[in-house]
Amino acid sequence: MHPILADARKLLFYELAWLAAGVGFAALLRLDEQADWVGALCFTLPLALVWSFDVLSAYYVCRSQPYRQRRWPVTLSLFGGASLLSGLVFLGAGETLNYIGGDIVRGHAFVTMPSAAWVMYFLGGFALYLLSLLGHDVLIAFETVQDAARREAESRVLARDAELQMLRTQINPHFLFNSLNSISALTGFDPAAARDMTVDLAQFFRRTLALAERERITLGEEVALSEHFLAIEKRRFGRKLNAELRISPEAAQCLLPPMTLQPLLENAIKHGIRQVDGGGTIAVDALVREGWLHIAVLNPVAREDTPSSGHGVGLKNIRERLAVLYGARARIAWRRGESQFAIEINLPVDKETGA
Amino acid sequence: MSSSTRLRALVVDDEDLARHLIREYLQGHADIEVVGECENGLDAVKQIGALDPDLVFLDIQMPRLTGLEVLELTGRRSGVIFTTAYDEHAIKAFELHAVDYLLKPFSKARFDDALGRARTLHASASAAQAPVQAQGQGVDALVARRGAPLERILIRDREQVHVIPVEQVECIEAQGDYLAIEVDGKCHLKPQRISEIEEQLDPTRFLRVHRSFIINLAHLQAIERPGPDRHAARLRSGKRVPISRSGYEKLRELV
Repeated sequence: MHPILADARKLLFYELAWLAAGVGFAALLRLDEQADWVGALCFTLPLALVWSFDVLSAYYVCRSQPYRQRRWPVTLSLFGGASLLSGLVFLGAGETLNYIGGDIVRGHAFVTMPSAAWVMYFLGGFALYLLSLLGHDVLIAFETVQDAARREAESRVLARDAELQMLRTQINPHFLFNSLNSISALTGFDPAAARDMTVDLAQFFRRTLALAERERITLGEEVALSEHFLAIEKRRFGRKLNAELRISPEAAQCLLPPMTLQPLLENAIKHGIRQVDGGGTIAVDALVREGWLHIAVLNPVAREDTPSSGHGVGLKNIRERLAVLYGARARIAWRRGESQFAIEINLPVDKETGA
Repeated sequence: MSSSTRLRALVVDDEDLARHLIREYLQGHADIEVVGECENGLDAVKQIGALDPDLVFLDIQMPRLTGLEVLELTGRRSGVIFTTAYDEHAIKAFELHAVDYLLKPFSKARFDDALGRARTLHASASAAQAPVQAQGQGVDALVARRGAPLERILIRDREQVHVIPVEQVECIEAQGDYLAIEVDGKCHLKPQRISEIEEQLDPTRFLRVHRSFIINLAHLQAIERPGPDRHAARLRSGKRVPISRSGYEKLRELV
């Protein structure tokens, strides 16, 4: 929407300025003895109102021709045509007003309009609209620059947040120290399992470190990392934790920002499985349908557990990261049922070139 | 610390391997007998009540109830060795109150140290000597003063434990040695002093409007004036709570 139309205060001042211009115009007409005061004002004030809105439409004409995509012959003829039309509208509005208001209501015209004045009105309308087009062009260029700067700053902040988040995941102290404690326990009675767990822990951290530097990874890579994570957590929580990952081969090739799935699994364990007495199964489904990558994560939750704030924060972070990278084209939604928690992510399919 | 006195120990941790490790470390100590294991806080509350063990290995971060909540509900203050992987707040508090704790993963030597201290404390407890009291006070302070404001209130009703999120609490009334906690038209009794719970609650959400009343500001509907210089709070449930003069001034500042 036009910045003036969107703001009631601005609109008020804008209209007042136009009405003042209308009064000035009326004074000119009076001085030139083309009309008496009443006639001049009855003529200029409605015209100023019509005009105030007419020139604002130039904003949309300019917007329809984004600066970078302009083909100048098209743009110039559009601008010229719009201005010509505006000149005609100006002239027509003046004539109609004069005819209806003056001839019919008052018995004689508001203002005398010799044919020289016709040309004047037409040219005035034409020039004014052209000026408005140019002015709006400048305004829009200005807005674009500001917008770009703001968006860049925003995404820089979010990118840094994501990086910090990733670093924190790498050295999530709870996860690290508890895993080490489990390894320490395993060495006593199952050295082979202890060794496996050490390898899983090393692989998980190594992969996380490698991914942190990349902007996009395939879902397959993320799943591989998540499997090391799940292997560690399964040792810690034993039979309580089961996971079923159903990733279609096509989905595995899709690109997405790193550490999108793993935090969801971590949440599902921390706020779900761990709180349920008998544990349960985390189900992950990923598939591609009609150009969209769908990822669904489902896990049981304890009935009486009040929705803890931690869960929401993690999910909101992911939502923000996706919004920065995909804009409105990414969707993440979650729902807490009586005994289960469901998360659904939809992303436009994006594959590695050559894949 | 004679070998004839056997200590009965309870191991509380939600991870199987963590409990396994403690059992293994205990194998070298013939004077200690593991009488039970629990994998969540609720179970720990029950077992501590039923078994009255001499020694409890207590994990802090557990499902259902945290280790500190277990202590709050059972009133247990001595013979506790905390275990935790990582909990900045808890560790600071342990240091402050000189309470023994084990950081996972811990060595056998560190474990034996903690066990040695626990034995000494237990022996002097039997003889009713000073160090036990000191540890009891330390744990007491730990349970009463947690860094962040209280998020949920725990009430033990015979075998059952009610966990009540504070936002559901309408008001709290002191009745003798008990607190009457009003939630959804029901009233729960909890043995605690009103000044103690007042300190634990978030002061921006709960206000002590009277010597024996705390109200949840989110449930406040109107302030009524039944007489000159007398005020009462009407809560959303329709219940009326008297407001003292100083309570009225505090309330006017907040609302």
